[in-house]
Amino acid sequence: MTMPASTAAAYEVIGTNAPRTDALAKVQGKAQFTGDLQVHGMTYGRVLRSPYAHARIVSIDASAAEALPGVVAVMTGRNIPSSDPYYGHALKDRPVLALDRVRFVGEPVAAVAAESPAIADAALDLIDITYEELPAVTTIDQALAPGAPLLHDAPNLRAGLFHGLGEIRLEEGNVCYHHAFARGDSDAVFANADIVVEGEYVFPAVFQYSMEPHTTIAAWMDDDDLTVWSSCQHPFLVRAELANLFNLPVGAVRVVVPFLGGGFGAKSYTKMEPITSSLARLTRRPVRIANSVDESMVTTRRHGMKAWMRTAATKEGKLLAREVRAWFDTGAFADNGPRVVATGADAAPGPYTWEAVKVDAWGVYTNTSPAGSYRAFGATHLQWCGELQVDEIGRRCGLDALQMRERNLLQYGESVRPGGKPLDADLIGDMRRVAQSLNWDAPKPDGVVGRGMSVGLLAAGAHPVSTASIRMEADGSLTLLVSSTEVGQGARTVFAQIVAEELGVAPERVRVPGGDTRLTPYDRSTGASRSTTLAGMAVLRAAQDIRQQLLEIGGRFLDLPEVALEIRDGAVRHEGEAVSFPDLIKFHFGMVGGELMGNGAVRPEKGSGSYAEGPVFWEVCIGGVELAVDPETGIVTLNKVVSVADVGKALNPRQVVTQEMGGANQGIGNALFEEMIFDETGTLQNATLYEYHVPTIADMPLAFSLKHCGERGWAGTLRAPRAWAKGRWPAWPPQLPRHWRMQASTSTNFLRLLSASGGPCKRSSQPDRRAMPAQSMKEATTDEGLPAGQWHPAARHVVRDMEPQSGSGVSLPGLFDLH
Amino acid sequence: MPSETMMRLRTTINGEDIELDIEPRELLIDVLRHRLELTGAKRSCDSQVCGACTVLLDGQPVSSCCTLAYEADGRTVLTVEGLAQDGHLDLIQAAFVEQAAIQCGFCTPGFVLTTKAMLAENPRPTRDEIKHYLGGNLCRCTGYWNILDAAEDAARRLAAAAETGS
Amino acid sequence: MLRPFAIHQPMTVSEATSLMRDYGDAAAFYAGGTELLIVLKEHLAVVDHLIDLKRIPGLDEISLQDDGASLKIGALATHRAIERSVLVQRRLPVLAALEAKVANVRVRAAGTLGGNLCFADPHSDPATLLSALGATLTLDNGTAQRNVRADAFTTDLMTTDREPDEVLTHITVPLPGANVGTGYERIKLHERPTVSAAAVITVADNLIAAARLYLGCIGDAPQRLRDVEDVLVGLPALVTSGERVKPLIASLALTYDTPFESARYKRQLASAVGVRAIAAAVANAVHPQGSRHAV
Repeated sequence: MTMPASTAAAYEVIGTNAPRTDALAKVQGKAQFTGDLQVHGMTYGRVLRSPYAHARIVSIDASAAEALPGVVAVMTGRNIPSSDPYYGHALKDRPVLALDRVRFVGEPVAAVAAESPAIADAALDLIDITYEELPAVTTIDQALAPGAPLLHDAPNLRAGLFHGLGEIRLEEGNVCYHHAFARGDSDAVFANADIVVEGEYVFPAVFQYSMEPHTTIAAWMDDDDLTVWSSCQHPFLVRAELANLFNLPVGAVRVVVPFLGGGFGAKSYTKMEPITSSLARLTRRPVRIANSVDESMVTTRRHGMKAWMRTAATKEGKLLAREVRAWFDTGAFADNGPRVVATGADAAPGPYTWEAVKVDAWGVYTNTSPAGSYRAFGATHLQWCGELQVDEIGRRCGLDALQMRERNLLQYGESVRPGGKPLDADLIGDMRRVAQSLNWDAPKPDGVVGRGMSVGLLAAGAHPVSTASIRMEADGSLTLLVSSTEVGQGARTVFAQIVAEELGVAPERVRVPGGDTRLTPYDRSTGASRSTTLAGMAVLRAAQDIRQQLLEIGGRFLDLPEVALEIRDGAVRHEGEAVSFPDLIKFHFGMVGGELMGNGAVRPEKGSGSYAEGPVFWEVCIGGVELAVDPETGIVTLNKVVSVADVGKALNPRQVVTQEMGGANQGIGNALFEEMIFDETGTLQNATLYEYHVPTIADMPLAFSLKHCGERGWAGTLRAPRAWAKGRWPAWPPQLPRHWRMQASTSTNFLRLLSASGGPCKRSSQPDRRAMPAQSMKEATTDEGLPAGQWHPAARHVVRDMEPQSGSGVSLPGLFDLH
Repeated sequence: MPSETMMRLRTTINGEDIELDIEPRELLIDVLRHRLELTGAKRSCDSQVCGACTVLLDGQPVSSCCTLAYEADGRTVLTVEGLAQDGHLDLIQAAFVEQAAIQCGFCTPGFVLTTKAMLAENPRPTRDEIKHYLGGNLCRCTGYWNILDAAEDAARRLAAAAETGS
Repeated sequence: MLRPFAIHQPMTVSEATSLMRDYGDAAAFYAGGTELLIVLKEHLAVVDHLIDLKRIPGLDEISLQDDGASLKIGALATHRAIERSVLVQRRLPVLAALEAKVANVRVRAAGTLGGNLCFADPHSDPATLLSALGATLTLDNGTAQRNVRADAFTTDLMTTDREPDEVLTHITVPLPGANVGTGYERIKLHERPTVSAAAVITVADNLIAAARLYLGCIGDAPQRLRDVEDVLVGLPALVTSGERVKPLIASLALTYDTPFESARYKRQLASAVGVRAIAAAVANAVHPQGSRHAV
């Protein structure tokens, strides 16, 4: 890899806390998000959504809606004007609008374009749809039961454009993807192991809640020229999908990305763009569709999961083998499910050395809203379970969380998975930093229930293809063309810093507009921590290209060899002489005009860049907490949260810290209280922000510490403020399993279990959470109060008891390292 | 039957007197965003939880997504666009920039305006008072730390400005 | 999205009630709108006429009654106004502190106490405390007034004793005497409170001479725990005395499972906040200055 020319010298811009290039616009309300745009002649689209989880559409009568003054067009499954009604980047399983049946509550069934949002809204009421309800499967268990109703004709689905998983093997039933691998003889290892811990785990679905709901504007300039402004993270993948949908060359589709009000994976791949583009084509006018938050909640979510896992170890605490079976609830359509399943399964062994591993993971269709990406997807689900088991083994061996990891973690340079990139981090050192920050060996202060920490790895980078271009105008103005989406992570700022460093100018001099697939060059996607690392590398190379051109022109101008020249403060210099960039460009073109164009690209440097050969780098996910619990209420107070930003050289340390703090905040919400609750009809029970609680200021930890953010650079790569906060929550949920969530009785129960000294906790049956109030009130009056010592969980999120091995005498579910 | 009667709205928005005919059901956020092209107030939760649509009505923070526009009749509205004067940031805005309290920016106008209202009531808030006052605004990016720092910084700037009489 | 409606802005209560009688079910009284507008946006209710009560003079006044023994709070007083009222802060600090924690500052700026009580959402703070304090609600239909005890006002889930054409004009809250302490405690796990408890304790001769204890948020309406009150009376006036009734509170609390919390967990929370409210009230009765702000 080519290093920046300035590597040897001290950096001037890289490594500084350069202010965000977009701060002034954002703080004044001038930054434009998709919903802030007005397009001439724009109509307003609204979507009618299914009230049923599974139903046949018997008839649709839209005539009254069409007749409403101000309605421009009504689109249903009968008049979708695309070449192919189906799309989906992994599997083409999703129709633009429901065709003959609906598969989840909230599925778009019809869309109206009207002269005002109010008219569009009123028109929805006038669309008459007759449904015939079908049996639905709203849980993984129901979907996998013999004879379960099928959501799709799975074996005959077509692969999408970007599944990125090689050949997708399709199976019968409600399974959209099966990922499996095995190494070593796990049966033999388990048969002879001193310690085996085993458990079943339930991981709830959560909502990404990027504050800006999905918003898209589509305008057809002609039948073969589509422009889409959209709150999307991956404009080039959206472009390809739309081109495919309408059978157009990719160049005929232009996707423009304004500022995004957060993404977190919710805006990865294609979401509302197919409906909006189709409606605009039907309408023959621009259309805007702006989701409400409740609509966004049924547009995408994180996968719920259930899993079985067992881990074998020696009595000295040496990990030996792990077996996993996991089922990911991808909802009614695959969306990014196959990729999440594969990444999650690959991460299941965690960053440890094994004699044997055996992993099976399935993506399962259910009649619920589709699930896709959410921060650090794949890193979270199964490493959470794995870390619980590591702690449990430690408990049986008399080792604490740190000691277990010191004995078992992979070392720098060791293989994480065969054929992939070796580990490029010092995990044990990072863990020790966390321990130190938590005062790991010091007595716990009053009221503190425990300290915990854990570790995971995220395969970062996705497919390594990014390009960038820089224009240097005749007066020296710099415009960076790069398609990485500014979702809030600060990509534009870091890119400006990179250009500024290379070209010896102030970062404010570098304009970084948003992505526009017709103008800014190709970038695969914005996610998987790839903006700074990969798009940033392309930016660096584009800047180096310009730099080289300036040196070449400067050499001619000064009649000196290039090696005698340096670039600093906006000029090419040699000893006392300096020629400004504008003078060089004027010299080059012989007039005041023209421009220099620099290009940079990143592509796989060896191999195909495939997922199996990856990742681009291993992202370290390490965190620790110290917490107190109110024993009466189960309410958790986080005294301290520690995260590790093992990023190598931070290009903008303050942005790294801010990303980490924000990621930690979401981890807190996920671990303590966020969960999408579907009832048995498949209806989301908490579809508003006043019922789906996300962390507020009141939920902040009392202290936050970020370790290891600064110089490191062992890999020599630009590993800096990441495009995405790392998935630190693999480190968290193991310490704060779902038991600890505040809204469930389980929190209190678990406290009681902790204080009980008796045998293994028993799992109670699932309560009927939809008990009728009247009936329950009656029950309540006859209840004899709290059987204090033996109060068992109404366990909704239970990490089920790990069955103790004979003679081990373990008494608690292996949830917490109560250090 | 619903009345089609329009109402006359006379209000002052960011120091400018505005007269508009509005429908009774029109929400303040829609009048601001769609009629006046003041798009700083953002729509997110639509239910008074997130604070992204916050504007100040006679100095009090309100959710413009849940305020009927006619309520602004005869009153003053301040939106984020009205803070900077002659190209100079309001000191609260300056504090948010300085403290890196901005990421995606969708919540920023609401936080800035809520901080403005808070400091007007309580120029020297404690950290806990800040957390209480800003507790009804959501941010999904920053984890709130820098926002609290910005609010404290803004209070310091306010005190300094008061001292110098500027 | 809101459906079309007309706005009416009566200047008197009788004008308002007369409009309501004219339009019947097609109309709704409108004050702060914090609950109503969400209901209308979600099309859970449809109205053609909103009768805005905010122009009626005097309905938002907060004053001390002539006898000095009670506060009169206009139904249109906003949560913010009550929170910031010097009169309330000095004479009934437990209410000022409660109001300061209602929802968020925007909701408090718009939402009114009267609207809150009439909407009768169980996940709400004021009704429970006002019940414990023995407040009285005054309803006016334009020709006649009647009073309803706060704890009798909510008759069912989101249903009150108010007739459709009655306007809640004001709430009268008796001020606790010198030997009477108040306590209000709540736990909020989501946007809205999950469970709350209000206690009013009279202390005489170092004993609890009288007690009122109400639980809020967990059932359809604030619920009085008379059996707990009976046990409390005669106990030493110690902040720890409430521990005695902890299991009783849990067993008496009427509640039900929801998708968010099980009934059992809520009963556990209820016993915790109940005991804390009792402790706060005892402390407040014994040391009125020191614990006035303990909410």
